[in-house]
Amino acid sequence: MAADLLELVDVEAGYGRAALVLRGLTVRVPPASVVCLVGPNGAGKSTVLKVASGLLAPRAGRIVLDGRDVTGRGPQQLLTAGLSHVLQGHSVFREMTVGENVLLGAYTVRDKATVAERVDFVRTLFPVVGERWDALAGALSGGQQKQVEFARSLMVSPRVVLLDEPSMGLDPKATATVFEQIVRMRDAGTAVLLVEQNARRALEVADLGCVLDLGRVHISGPAGDLLSDPRLGELYLGRAGDRKSVEPTDL
Amino acid sequence: MRSGSETVAKAFGLVALAAFVVAFPSLASDPFVLSVGVVIVSYAVLATAWNFVGGFTGYISLGHAAYSGLGGYATGLLILRAEVNPWLALLLGGLVVAALAVPVGIAALRVRGASFVIVSIALVLVLLLVFQSWESVTGGSDGLRVPRPFGPEVLRPEQHQRFFYLHAVLLAVMLLCWWAIDRSRFGMGLKGIREDEDKARSLGVPTVRYKLAAFVISAFFTALGGGLYALWFGFLDPIFQFSILVGSNMVLMSLLGGVRSLFGPLVGAVVVGYATEFFKAQYGDTQMHLVAMGVLLAVVVLFLPDGVIPAVRGLVARLRPEQASIREVTQEELAEEVRR
Repeated sequence: MAADLLELVDVEAGYGRAALVLRGLTVRVPPASVVCLVGPNGAGKSTVLKVASGLLAPRAGRIVLDGRDVTGRGPQQLLTAGLSHVLQGHSVFREMTVGENVLLGAYTVRDKATVAERVDFVRTLFPVVGERWDALAGALSGGQQKQVEFARSLMVSPRVVLLDEPSMGLDPKATATVFEQIVRMRDAGTAVLLVEQNARRALEVADLGCVLDLGRVHISGPAGDLLSDPRLGELYLGRAGDRKSVEPTDL
Repeated sequence: MRSGSETVAKAFGLVALAAFVVAFPSLASDPFVLSVGVVIVSYAVLATAWNFVGGFTGYISLGHAAYSGLGGYATGLLILRAEVNPWLALLLGGLVVAALAVPVGIAALRVRGASFVIVSIALVLVLLLVFQSWESVTGGSDGLRVPRPFGPEVLRPEQHQRFFYLHAVLLAVMLLCWWAIDRSRFGMGLKGIREDEDKARSLGVPTVRYKLAAFVISAFFTALGGGLYALWFGFLDPIFQFSILVGSNMVLMSLLGGVRSLFGPLVGAVVVGYATEFFKAQYGDTQMHLVAMGVLLAVVVLFLPDGVIPAVRGLVARLRPEQASIREVTQEELAEEVRR
């Protein structure tokens, strides 16, 4: 089995002087796979992505990307190293065209031929990017904007893409399109670490899943197994009564 | 893709504008009208210069009079104290101000939003005090008389005509630079900063260096505008050179025309410049023209938040045949999707 592409090992992290949000969390992302993080609000899902992309420095633990320890590196360094982060909500540059948004994704790439090649690639993967190239990104629908964000994140040929709630605020059809695109990204060889509130839908497209609660991974394993695990409902829907009674396990 | 008719319309507009600028001195009925033309094109130079930083990065500087004032004084002092050729003094003045803008920019651009506005105002107020107090060099509150570059044989109307064309050439150079930056990788990074600085940084845009570069370019052109004005007007008074009103006017003109448009500040300068001179002529030495400017600013904020040019563009777009809807799914399809 290939070595994991991204590893967060025993990570502890929090905001300012507040209490820890992540408490010894370990997540591994194999190459060309979709790993999904699900869990209730406040479980620390988005914080995992912020730590992984360098937006938030961990207080303890290690972040390993493609075998190299990248703990403490900033977002730009990690972007150059092959890790791209699509933030929660709509993060397109609304007053810039779709083309400018996509090209900004390749800002660290100097070689024009490489940029042109990547533009062709993302235009094939996300047809809306080519169709609305000169339109203002802010004029696009929510689902189209999300595809522009995906395209922008793929412009640096990342090995890993971090997606934070990509279906947030989208209608059912746009949500379906977004999940189709995630599968296409994986099939194109990119590993995806996905945070999603729509747990069932996310686990359906994921290879592996992790259920987070109170800053720890409580259950992890193949996504299909998690879907049928009754503990997922207990944790996620808050029916456990006492959360401490659900023991962290690896399926 | 831009349509062919749009390109033809733009080219026609550009040729018409150039023809009007060339013909204006001949069309002006008297020297006063010509002098108003010089004032308006001078405003256009300052507003377009301001727009290199305001339009590209979104950093609103209310204290840009600092750079026009410094440009004017640098030009005047180089001519008077160092006996430098006036045109060389103008260029050197611009370069000196650009060099001074580097440390100022490094300090000022560390803060954003309202804090940056306050820092920019503070600078112009400090310079006002310095230039009023340092009488032995700057002439203090009595002002500084700047020798005119043309000899006494060149009469007043011809002076106006020459300075009108000089300002127009400087404006054309600045518009060309703005246009080139707008289409460059550098410009794309600057626009990313304007939209969301943190996001742009996370994508690898060197935000600190880019902001500083835009700031220095803006200061350089503003100084050239101030220097050219000094050569035309022939007299500098610190109270007018380092006035917050001058900087506010640059912002007002740019906002009125549209900060994201190449010709926005020019359109704003024509409206504000003409309105200022009109109200001054109507109400004499009263402060009514300032009240009129206040009303104009309120109108911009309330009815044209993006400026005249984007508003006109929007109107034209509305008159065009219906654009394709961005809706990806009909109500019926959506209901069907939910049922499934």
